[in-house]
Amino acid sequence: MDEIRKLSGALETDHVRKWKAGGGKVLGYTCIATPVELVAAAGVLPYRVRALGSAQTEIADAHLSRFNCSFCRSCLQLGLDGSYDFLDGMIETNGCDHLRGMIENWKYAKGFGFFHYLRVPQIVDKDSFAFFVDELKLMRRAMSDFIGAEVDDDAVRAEIERQERIRGKLRRLYSIRERERPGLTGAEALEVFLAATASTTDVFEAELDRIIREREGHEVPAPRARLVLGGSATDEVDFVREIEDVGGLVVTDMLCFGSRAFWTRELPQQGSPEEDLARLYLGNQICPRMFDEFHKRRDFIFSAVERARADGVVLVHNKFCDIHGVDNVQLRMALEKKGVPVLQLEKEYGARADLGRIRTRVQAFLERIGDAK
Amino acid sequence: MKMKMPTGLFDKLSSQLLVIELLPRPVLKVVGPLLVPLKIMPEDGRSAAKALMAPHVRDASIEFLKMAAEWMLAAKRARKRGEKVILVPFNFPSELIHAFTKARPLTSEVLTTLGVSALPGQGEDYWNVAMGLGLPDHLCSANTIELGSILSGDDLKPDAIIQSAPGGCDVNSKIHEFVAHYLDIPQFFLQKPTDDSGRGREWYGKYMKSLVAQLEEFLGEKLDEGRLRAVMEKANRCTELYYELWDLQKAVPSPVPNLFSLLIYGTRFTMWGTDAAVRTMEAMVKIGKERLAKREYPAPAEVARCLWAYTSYYYDFFGFFNWMEDKGYSHLGDGLDLFFPKLVDTASMDSMLEGIAEAAWNMPMTRQVGGESMSGSWTEDVVHAVKELGADCVIYCGHHSCKQTWSVASILRSELQKRTGTPMLMLQGDSWIKNMTPMSVLQEQIEEFISNVVAKKDGKKRKIRRRKKADGAEQSAEAEMA
Repeated sequence: MDEIRKLSGALETDHVRKWKAGGGKVLGYTCIATPVELVAAAGVLPYRVRALGSAQTEIADAHLSRFNCSFCRSCLQLGLDGSYDFLDGMIETNGCDHLRGMIENWKYAKGFGFFHYLRVPQIVDKDSFAFFVDELKLMRRAMSDFIGAEVDDDAVRAEIERQERIRGKLRRLYSIRERERPGLTGAEALEVFLAATASTTDVFEAELDRIIREREGHEVPAPRARLVLGGSATDEVDFVREIEDVGGLVVTDMLCFGSRAFWTRELPQQGSPEEDLARLYLGNQICPRMFDEFHKRRDFIFSAVERARADGVVLVHNKFCDIHGVDNVQLRMALEKKGVPVLQLEKEYGARADLGRIRTRVQAFLERIGDAK
Repeated sequence: MKMKMPTGLFDKLSSQLLVIELLPRPVLKVVGPLLVPLKIMPEDGRSAAKALMAPHVRDASIEFLKMAAEWMLAAKRARKRGEKVILVPFNFPSELIHAFTKARPLTSEVLTTLGVSALPGQGEDYWNVAMGLGLPDHLCSANTIELGSILSGDDLKPDAIIQSAPGGCDVNSKIHEFVAHYLDIPQFFLQKPTDDSGRGREWYGKYMKSLVAQLEEFLGEKLDEGRLRAVMEKANRCTELYYELWDLQKAVPSPVPNLFSLLIYGTRFTMWGTDAAVRTMEAMVKIGKERLAKREYPAPAEVARCLWAYTSYYYDFFGFFNWMEDKGYSHLGDGLDLFFPKLVDTASMDSMLEGIAEAAWNMPMTRQVGGESMSGSWTEDVVHAVKELGADCVIYCGHHSCKQTWSVASILRSELQKRTGTPMLMLQGDSWIKNMTPMSVLQEQIEEFISNVVAKKDGKKRKIRRRKKADGAEQSAEAEMA
């Protein structure tokens, strides 16, 4: 895991630094609805914006408010304090109101060298699909303008295939995580995912192969309970570690820094590259930003519970995150109806002060699961 | 047979409004003001009654109440006849539903506002129902109070929900979605592409047509061109009256009573395109014109002309709208008044549907924070209103759950300052729940802002105090800023 930790443990990792030193460009993005294939096909490193548990928000608070989610405030802080100065630009998507606000303030206060806004529909139907295909064409054109060369069909197709291969390998890694005697912890799995979204495909794929080989025969200590973790954007390795330190092993997840980004995505029928990507991304968005699709999210978590033989589910959202705050209630109700124990947590992002409270609640939850077993 | 006392927000309100419906206007004009001293209303509602029945607004308030009675009771009666009641959010043009014969619209946020101003406890019991289900406390009280009442299972249950907030407001969209799932009723969507180019608007027109087709199927009724035309012609009349009020608002001192800000959009969100809406808007214009002619103003002088950037406060009409007026603080409208309606071409079904799409595109919130840039269109609208109406300050109410506006309020403040030199006060509170920030605290902050910032704005430039630096050299604050 050492290499993975190096690829995921900092914002500007050695890998990013090396890439930049070699003349490579890096573009930030904030949401799993962004088709990274179009960025990578242009020879640019797509970098998913994260805050890695940093709770500092004093600069950001002069722009966003305390009624905005603390994850977005932390990301904005890092954007404004220079930590993200290695980014050559940003691709915005309309992920949620907080993310939009975060990017808008970042752009207003500091500006981006390159900026593209990808509008992602919130409903899946024929009209939305056609709209999104157009959007992806605009994005490809923007990428071509950015690098000053045509991003051609072959390059996009090759990247679609490469990303599909990576997704397959991530699923393979998750099967090691979800099996009877898991080969890696939830905190480690999160580190792998963080590395995936901050590295070039070739470097990450080699690391992923190595981890799979290493962990296939490995077993982590048996936990008190096997848990599924779902909810808001969670890139806080310490938070997952905290849950695992008290005896709950996160054997799978329903996170956008996790399985939601790759689980259901399979290479679609061949149309134009944009049509394939539209099917891949719009048709498989397991996110409460989507409407009329709760059944997909409910079935996704049911299937995760069953597949990973989970004893319970922890649903988390950052304070003021409306989309997950409401969706988690619906998921809790659906899971409880099925007899699955659920712990619903509202927390501040990265706040150490919250950890004691969370630890106590997780311990109580594990006891509840233990009593029920 | 034992009579059951209504407990739900809609049921309680509609029982009260039955009295309004029954009493003729001249009687209401006499009886209305007596409601306050006779104390036959709950204390919470008396403040609203006192504000609504103040002599200078009474005629318009009575029309508004008559309209609200017609709106709610028509839904209740429609339900009894087996027709559908469709719950819509405030940013949906309800005139579309008025054009169907088998459906009546009810607007979540307007029901909440009426409930908060008229019912004992101001709707907090219904809020608590939602909280009791484990829903987060950062939801929007504007809709969650009414929806909490529905979730209690002891109030009128809608047959379907229309969602038009995806793209404009996450919290509005999510809570309506939750209720649709919880009640197991269908929901229909009108999503807003966050794209201000012609392309986004073109797609929006397609989405609107697709919504109409879905509603036709759901209701088993083809939208009738003649009936739609009749509704749109009345909507056009409302539009003309809206701009008459807008123009009246430009006069100094403002001849338009503060409370009309609320009554204008209360009309827009419920009965636009009906005779009752035309009567209400006409009553407001008449009062405005009369007051302009007589140069009437409630205070000795108009001290400040305040534009509210987004919502106002609704839990104490008297303490808010009328208090401001008594102090000489004109309320020139708020963000919800900024829907800039357009006359709809009634030549054909297509042109009318296009007009409805355009109206929906321009509804408050959709038009502003639902734009490509959350701050861009909002800033444009507020700057335009400040310039047109001659506002000398802007107040952002800081409703807790408005995360989209909170996200970019600092940009609005900064741009306002840059483009117009207008100061903006940022308050914090809940527009529909009194317990968050008491009215007295809000009043104090408004007063301080107006007396210390706004009133002095055009006065003599303040001297910049020179500060001593550590090395003893003097430096002005301006130089430091640079």
